[in-house]
Amino acid sequence: MKLNRHLLRTSVVIAATALVLTGCRSSSDEGSGASPGISDEACPEAVNADNGCITLGIISDLTKGPFAPLAVPITDAQKAFWQKVNEDGGVGGYDIDITSNIADAEYNPEIHNRKYQEMRKDVLALGQSLGSSQTLAILDDMKSDDVIAMPASWNSAWEFEDQVLESGANYCFEAMNGVDWAVTNRAVKGEVIAVGYPGDYGGDAAAGVEAAAKANDLDFEKIETPTGQDNQAGAIAAILKAKPALVFVSTGPAEMATIVGGAAAQGFKGTFVGSSPTWNPALLKSAAAPALEAMYFQAGPWAPFGAETPGHEAMRGALGEVTPNDGYTAGWVWSYPLLAALKQADADGGITRESLVKAAKALTEVDYEGMLPPEAGATKGEPAEVAFRSSVVSKVDPTAPTGVSVTQELTTGPTAEGYDFSEPCFSLQ
Amino acid sequence: MTDFLQAIVNGFSQGSIYALLALGYVMIYKATHVISFAQPALMVVGGLFAYHFTSELGMPFWIGMLLAIVCGAVVGMLVERIALRPMLGKPVFTLAIITIGVDIVLRIISNRYIGVQSRIVEYPGGNERFSIGDVSISHQRLGLIAVTTVTVAALALFFRYSRTGLAMRATALDQETALAQGIRVGAVFALAWAIAGGLAAIAGTFVAAGNAGIEQTSWIIALKALPAIIIGGLDSVQGAVVGGLAVGIVEALTATFQPDVAPWLGANFSLVAPYALMFVVLLVRPYGLFGTKEVERV
Repeated sequence: MKLNRHLLRTSVVIAATALVLTGCRSSSDEGSGASPGISDEACPEAVNADNGCITLGIISDLTKGPFAPLAVPITDAQKAFWQKVNEDGGVGGYDIDITSNIADAEYNPEIHNRKYQEMRKDVLALGQSLGSSQTLAILDDMKSDDVIAMPASWNSAWEFEDQVLESGANYCFEAMNGVDWAVTNRAVKGEVIAVGYPGDYGGDAAAGVEAAAKANDLDFEKIETPTGQDNQAGAIAAILKAKPALVFVSTGPAEMATIVGGAAAQGFKGTFVGSSPTWNPALLKSAAAPALEAMYFQAGPWAPFGAETPGHEAMRGALGEVTPNDGYTAGWVWSYPLLAALKQADADGGITRESLVKAAKALTEVDYEGMLPPEAGATKGEPAEVAFRSSVVSKVDPTAPTGVSVTQELTTGPTAEGYDFSEPCFSLQ
Repeated sequence: MTDFLQAIVNGFSQGSIYALLALGYVMIYKATHVISFAQPALMVVGGLFAYHFTSELGMPFWIGMLLAIVCGAVVGMLVERIALRPMLGKPVFTLAIITIGVDIVLRIISNRYIGVQSRIVEYPGGNERFSIGDVSISHQRLGLIAVTTVTVAALALFFRYSRTGLAMRATALDQETALAQGIRVGAVFALAWAIAGGLAAIAGTFVAAGNAGIEQTSWIIALKALPAIIIGGLDSVQGAVVGGLAVGIVEALTATFQPDVAPWLGANFSLVAPYALMFVVLLVRPYGLFGTKEVERV
């Protein structure tokens, strides 16, 4: 009996200690909200001191990777977007904090995964996950955590993932529209070559080029080229040898300029159309600038930085004095679906990771403030029904803020219109 | 035939960049018996100086390049004085490792300047071309070849006819004997690094004036000068030039003809071709095409 009383006392002390420790951990690690990444306490540097705080994460390519020139303005635009949301009162009684969890993954899937592990307990969702392979590296964990992400990429596979909210036409449809445009407007006949990085980005675009080549009765050839401006001799030689009427490029800006400049310097006179990430306005100062002005066109998911829509104007107003760059445009547009999902989750009874996933799957439209039509944000339904298939084509225009201006507004070409989108154009697995 | 000649022209111009960088490696190796792994960073730094003088300060291209050469030379001398001179007498392996550290430090500093943008130097004449028949070359590449030719000729004359050049050759042959003859070996080391810095600055300027400018990853270009110095011979000035041009030409010829002649080698074999050439040369001439044979008593 004496022993039992001693045991009872010890058990009570252990249980009480455990309760206290659990309580301490709960309040410090997860906040007082009902879900990780959401708290009733105000955000650091809150705009609305009475609001709670929703924490979003960003995993980007901010220093060394090939897309850093785009990723930095993408990230800055997203900061400005959510700052504006906070200034407008926040969402459902919460301010949004997107600045506390920004990670540089250097366009490396392994680092991307590591950065996600570091922030997975602290964020409600990812405001940006840059790169297709990179996002794929965290997708399983995102699913087990009920975390949604806005991809800073346009891979066709994202249309088939409920927790990845894509905006605009994917690389595959963009390439189809680019080829269709060139056939109509540049009298392209004969052969088209798709030159791109090996893997998801180049592969997805090449699949679109191949589909459009088939639809337009063009010969098709695919050339994979590595990163690095000094490594493009093989791609240039292949273009000069085949002399295709059209080259569709899916690389970074430096590689694209090297290929276009190198081919033009040796007398190539065909047309180049590039995927959206191939352009950087700094290239207008390069030796390739005359060739780019004469031969290069950019296929893109929406109108560039200087366009006149309410969304573009809101973006420019929120950013203030910046050097125009379409990374800003992308970062701004990509944020609208997350805002729509947050509002929907709040309307459905409260924002948690689970309710956000549920809302993200059921969007019928997104208010892009004119940057894209509302139906471009639809997620409810099969990808073949709701995937947005329209893209713009821009030409080099040194007088435009980002060096390109739209030559064809949002259009769905015949190839994209009739494409059987029952599976991703290029499998990420 | 046109394809062949065009590949030779392309390879020759790209090889000129490798030759300039390879000359820098050889200058330092001859003087100090150290392979400097800081050349990639010196190339980037030189290119950034050229960018700053031309694009930021509005100077004409050629003046900007001359100032970049001077600044590159000063950086080279500072590196030698601060990082390497105190380590004189230590094993050359230790000094080579120090140059890796120097490379990292210089690249971190230059990356801060580069930021996320391409730093592009505008070349007068843009992408205008000079053509003979169907073979053409851009004015920028023609300028590169001309500058490389003048530089190599000037270096050859310097070593052959100037007292300082003679002192450098004497130091390369035997440091102790040179010291006994009154040659300031420390000054020779500094001069070797200055010349290497200046040569890297020329290469960096033309990389920055190319189709895509200088980015944070552009330093990798300089690594292709390593097979060039092995092919030419670590201690040979003419070997560096021949090796650099050989790497550029082999790369261009492989890119043009390998997909048809030997498709079984796979895509982008041109990236591997310089190393394959290096392997073959080493099998036949272990000290490179022009390198000095080392005879050791065993």
